[in-house]
Amino acid sequence: MEFASFVVFFVIACTLSAVLLGISSLLGQKRKSVREMDIYESGVNPVGSATRQYDIKFFVTAILFLLFDVEIVFLLPWALAYKDTTNQAFMIAGFVFFMVILLVGYIFVINSKALKWEE
Amino acid sequence: MLEAAIEILLKTVVILALPLGALPLIIHVERRGAAFMQKRLGPNRVGPFGLLQPLADVAKFMFKEEVHPTHVRPFFYTAAPMVALIVALLPLACIPVAGPIEAFGRTIYPEVFRSDMGIFFAFAVSALGSYGILLAGWASNNKYSMLGALRACAQMVSYELSLSTSVVAMIFLFGTNDIHVMVQAQSGYWLGFIPQWGVFYQPIAAMLFLVGIFAESNRLPFDLAEGESEIVAGYHLEYSSMKFALFFMAEYIHMIALSALFIILFFGGYGILPGMEGLASKSPYLLMLLQVVSLIIKIACMIWFFVWVRWTLPRFRYDQLMNLGWERLLPLGIANLIVTVLFVYFRNQ
Amino acid sequence: MAVDIMLTILTVVFALMVVFSKKTVVAAFSLLMTLLMIAMIYFQLGTVFISAVQVLINAGAIAILFVFVMMLINLEQFTNNREKSKWKLIVSTVTILVLLGVFALVINNNIETLSVMNLADNSMKTLFAKLFDVYYLPFEMATVLLLAAIVACIVITSHEKHEVAEELAAAKSEDKV
Repeated sequence: MEFASFVVFFVIACTLSAVLLGISSLLGQKRKSVREMDIYESGVNPVGSATRQYDIKFFVTAILFLLFDVEIVFLLPWALAYKDTTNQAFMIAGFVFFMVILLVGYIFVINSKALKWEE
Repeated sequence: MLEAAIEILLKTVVILALPLGALPLIIHVERRGAAFMQKRLGPNRVGPFGLLQPLADVAKFMFKEEVHPTHVRPFFYTAAPMVALIVALLPLACIPVAGPIEAFGRTIYPEVFRSDMGIFFAFAVSALGSYGILLAGWASNNKYSMLGALRACAQMVSYELSLSTSVVAMIFLFGTNDIHVMVQAQSGYWLGFIPQWGVFYQPIAAMLFLVGIFAESNRLPFDLAEGESEIVAGYHLEYSSMKFALFFMAEYIHMIALSALFIILFFGGYGILPGMEGLASKSPYLLMLLQVVSLIIKIACMIWFFVWVRWTLPRFRYDQLMNLGWERLLPLGIANLIVTVLFVYFRNQ
Repeated sequence: MAVDIMLTILTVVFALMVVFSKKTVVAAFSLLMTLLMIAMIYFQLGTVFISAVQVLINAGAIAILFVFVMMLINLEQFTNNREKSKWKLIVSTVTILVLLGVFALVINNNIETLSVMNLADNSMKTLFAKLFDVYYLPFEMATVLLLAAIVACIVITSHEKHEVAEELAAAKSEDKV
């Protein structure tokens, strides 16, 4: 039931966006000129290709996001389970340990200046 | 069976129609608000108070030429705006517009699907929002687009972390992921008139979430992805007509969905506003209507807040933005979480 | 039932596309679709929590990382390398044999698989109760593993950074973006 509802919602959302695109490509004006097909680069002739060397910090950000995200997602079931647990001290001890390790990782990241953008 | 199918369809249509129908109005408010703050008139010619201007714009979007540049990667170029819009719509599927209601001999939940993991689901699918932008930037094969997409993506993932910590803190406090239970938990009053909203328990988490919404939906002061003075329009630079409009819609719907989540966590969700109790106690249907109205009023306030901030704060520099995310908000979120957990533990001892 | 089969077929098709598509970016997006389809299967089984975790971690973070890499270094120029080698053949044969063996074991011994009802939403709490009782130590160790990963990430990238910087200084070529 839940899944069926979700699938219906998803399909309607997909159809909606496809229809919107379809309408504009049907109704839209068709007057193709060569210049407008060019890469937009503030009106001057494009220089080089778009795929060039980008800063590695983007990549570092993505990896660190992944790792920290996993840590925080681990805490979600913990937060849900805490209410029903019988041994709260045990849960809290685990939480403190978890957070200490997370903070060590975090401090390492900040100290390494891997995420400093200005240089 | 037929009844169930009709129910699903009806819910889907209503839940899609509400934000999509509100879009023109929101865009109008945005423009008139901008004009108001800059001491000018704004669009006021088409229809009364210029209210028909957004509709005229929609028509214009439809009839504009669809430029499909030759240097793009065709499949992904067309798919990107669709992905952006669909992903923006998905979190709405489990956000209820009102409380459960007894009708036709059973309990009807006014959300597309009912789950006791509602908040978490909405949060997870809204995290997919960066794909539309990433795809658009890459498929456009343009330096500005590419840079815009990379910036947007790095920014969105960075702020998602502090946003997650605030969500975890709230889930820990409520002890549930169920939106209806959360709203129920926030329905009481202190001293008879202060609503027991989450924001009063967790002001720091609320602040983190609020900043997160701005960053996730790429709104000023976090619109580095568009930053017109440096990279012209960022990821949607090469898009025109309806394709561009879809990105525009996606941004606003993402904003509405995240605002709804924010309201559920911190402002009592669809819970009726103070002062409506007398009217609401008359009939359950009236109560439902008032709940929908309350939710709409709360979201409208959020939207006005977005407009307000947009014309108040200047855009960040990119390094400031990343430093704010990683070196200020993330440790603040973690510290907030630790303090909350330990406080709750020691208070109960 | 039809939905199960459709989802399974889609998952397998996308998974095959990951392996066989010539373009790396198409492969990356197929991977994303595979992960999303698996999330849909979880959802269809009634475990919204697991489905959401799948979307959040696998689709939202890991796949983004892959796509990011594809975009950062222009991988389009490299296509899947199809050279034949003895090792490829041996490794793939062993993998297929092991998989078949596992299948045979499961089918013959009627190994108790996790029943759908055990994981359904309302009994998620039982799963959590297990996780934070019997499996609490592995749970805690996961964070140590993540710490190691964080350190590795920083060390590798900062090392690369110096090399690139030296190269750039030596060549005085393109400006950094």
